[in-house]
Amino acid sequence: MTRSRMVGLGVLAGSILVAPALLSFSTASELLIFGLAAAAAYPVIGVGGLFSFGQAALFGIGGYTGGWLMAHAALPLLWPLLAGAAAAGLFATAMGAMCVRRSSIYFIMLTFAFNQLVYYAIYSWRGVTGGQDGLADIARPARLLPYLPGVNLDRPVNFYVLVAVIVFGCFLLLLRIVDSPLGRVLDAAKQNARRAAAIGYDIHRAQTLAFALSGVFSGIAGVLYAMLYWIMPIDAVAWVNSGNLVFMVLIGGLGSIFGAPIGAAVFILLQDSLSLVWDRWPLLFGLIVIGVVLFLQGGVLELGGMLRPALRRASGADAP
Amino acid sequence: MITSALLGVQVANGLAVGALYALMAFGLSIIKGLLNVPNFAHGALFLVGAYVAWAVSGGSGSFWLGLLAAAAATALLGMAIERLLVRRLHRGAYLFQLLLLFGTALVMEQTVIAIWGGLGRSMSPPPWLTGAVDLGFSPFPRYLLFIVVAAAVVIAAVWALIERTWIGARIRAGIERPEMAQSLGIDVEALVTAAFALGAGLAGLAGALAAPLTGLSVTMGTDMLAIALVVVVLGGLGSIYGGVLAGLLVGVVQSLAALWVPQASTVVIYAAMILVLAVRPQGLLGER
Repeated sequence: MTRSRMVGLGVLAGSILVAPALLSFSTASELLIFGLAAAAAYPVIGVGGLFSFGQAALFGIGGYTGGWLMAHAALPLLWPLLAGAAAAGLFATAMGAMCVRRSSIYFIMLTFAFNQLVYYAIYSWRGVTGGQDGLADIARPARLLPYLPGVNLDRPVNFYVLVAVIVFGCFLLLLRIVDSPLGRVLDAAKQNARRAAAIGYDIHRAQTLAFALSGVFSGIAGVLYAMLYWIMPIDAVAWVNSGNLVFMVLIGGLGSIFGAPIGAAVFILLQDSLSLVWDRWPLLFGLIVIGVVLFLQGGVLELGGMLRPALRRASGADAP
Repeated sequence: MITSALLGVQVANGLAVGALYALMAFGLSIIKGLLNVPNFAHGALFLVGAYVAWAVSGGSGSFWLGLLAAAAATALLGMAIERLLVRRLHRGAYLFQLLLLFGTALVMEQTVIAIWGGLGRSMSPPPWLTGAVDLGFSPFPRYLLFIVVAAAVVIAAVWALIERTWIGARIRAGIERPEMAQSLGIDVEALVTAAFALGAGLAGLAGALAAPLTGLSVTMGTDMLAIALVVVVLGGLGSIYGGVLAGLLVGVVQSLAALWVPQASTVVIYAAMILVLAVRPQGLLGER
């Protein structure tokens, strides 16, 4: 692991520790959960260059599957978490297998259509999912693992610690995936699909695998989200949420997976502060999206990179 | 009990809804052809069209003026979006173009809510379009017939514009070989603006036509965008007209599905799309 990775992980861990001092536990938890969802989208969007607008579907399938189990059975957390991850992973595999064979523009439209398929399926299946009211009465499990003593997750601080541990662990795994040979193949396919295939890599298989892994981690984020407010709202599956997740990856910076949690933080804090200003905050958010796309394509990480030389000069440390 | 009259009404309903899908998909295909990007703001333009038609026809008392205002307003909006925003990005920067259009869609949707409120509205068709025509085996509501005819006339007119005129020849050249067209002295940039305005105007018109049929709601744009994208994918790669056929087909299938599985009629469309793509990946009329 390179030095910059270690520094990044250190900063991430530090931020997780400091966040509850600055924000409420629930806002900090939400921030981490969307950080994971955005990081889960990164292998597909950032590394693979596959602009999936179906990420909310994966997030939602995880949340609804895990949420339904928690609402109907008093199981240890392990089982809803695994079920959500597995369901989202399986769906992502099927979606990926069908989508990666299409060229860019059709790929985008297909992932979008899959997102809407899931949205309407959940919307229509009212008896199980609660339809447009969302899946209510989700109970946070009383135990994490079978045979272990219970823990009260309804205490905000306990829930935050749980979310922090799971999100940080998943982030380590995602970092490992991005740096793995799979990540290299995805990157190669992004730069030149024909050459990557000519060298002998099965790029469609690699891309489908990336989708599957993205689905697993999105699903985990979804299950955590279902626990956050004891309800799984249908808005979480809407295509706007897919757009939001893509925006988080972008505003953080497409060049690094560390941009994903930063992007999520920017998004959540922006949403929270804008919604205080005006009921129609998505309008302001839309204007910000437009502004970022036109003027700050490298995202926040690039902004940091642009500022660094200036800061050095200001402090006089950059005298060669 | 499903009678032939009920079946007939559902087919009529499906054709009308399908005609709207066809208008939307047609506009999307034209924009996609020249800009090579799916217009994520297409649903918001549909929404704006519906509300403008409702406001103008309510204010002026003229249904036609409402239709005209909707098409003109959205065409102007489309022109502005292309000129002021999309143009600033490099061609082929898909993700940025998509996010830009996503942001634009949010702004338009929220502006509609800010102006007209988040509640649903209803709009009635003009008196001469109420009631039904009897086709012998089943009645066909007049307004549904009007939608089908209006959409057919507009699509035929745009078809003639693209296939039979001097401008159309340039648009086709711009879609097939943009660099070659440019080097032959065709102003491709102006064509892109024109195509965006045309596509946006079709979306606005579809919204205006839909308003008396489905009523107005702030989510109508998102719902329509999703289906229109499916229709374009079903219609086929590189085929502007595949979407028209697919639109009618999807409308009728959805409408008939509502008879047997009323709650899941929208899900049926997406399932059908996945099925078709599994069997025929290039879409109905697609080449390659």
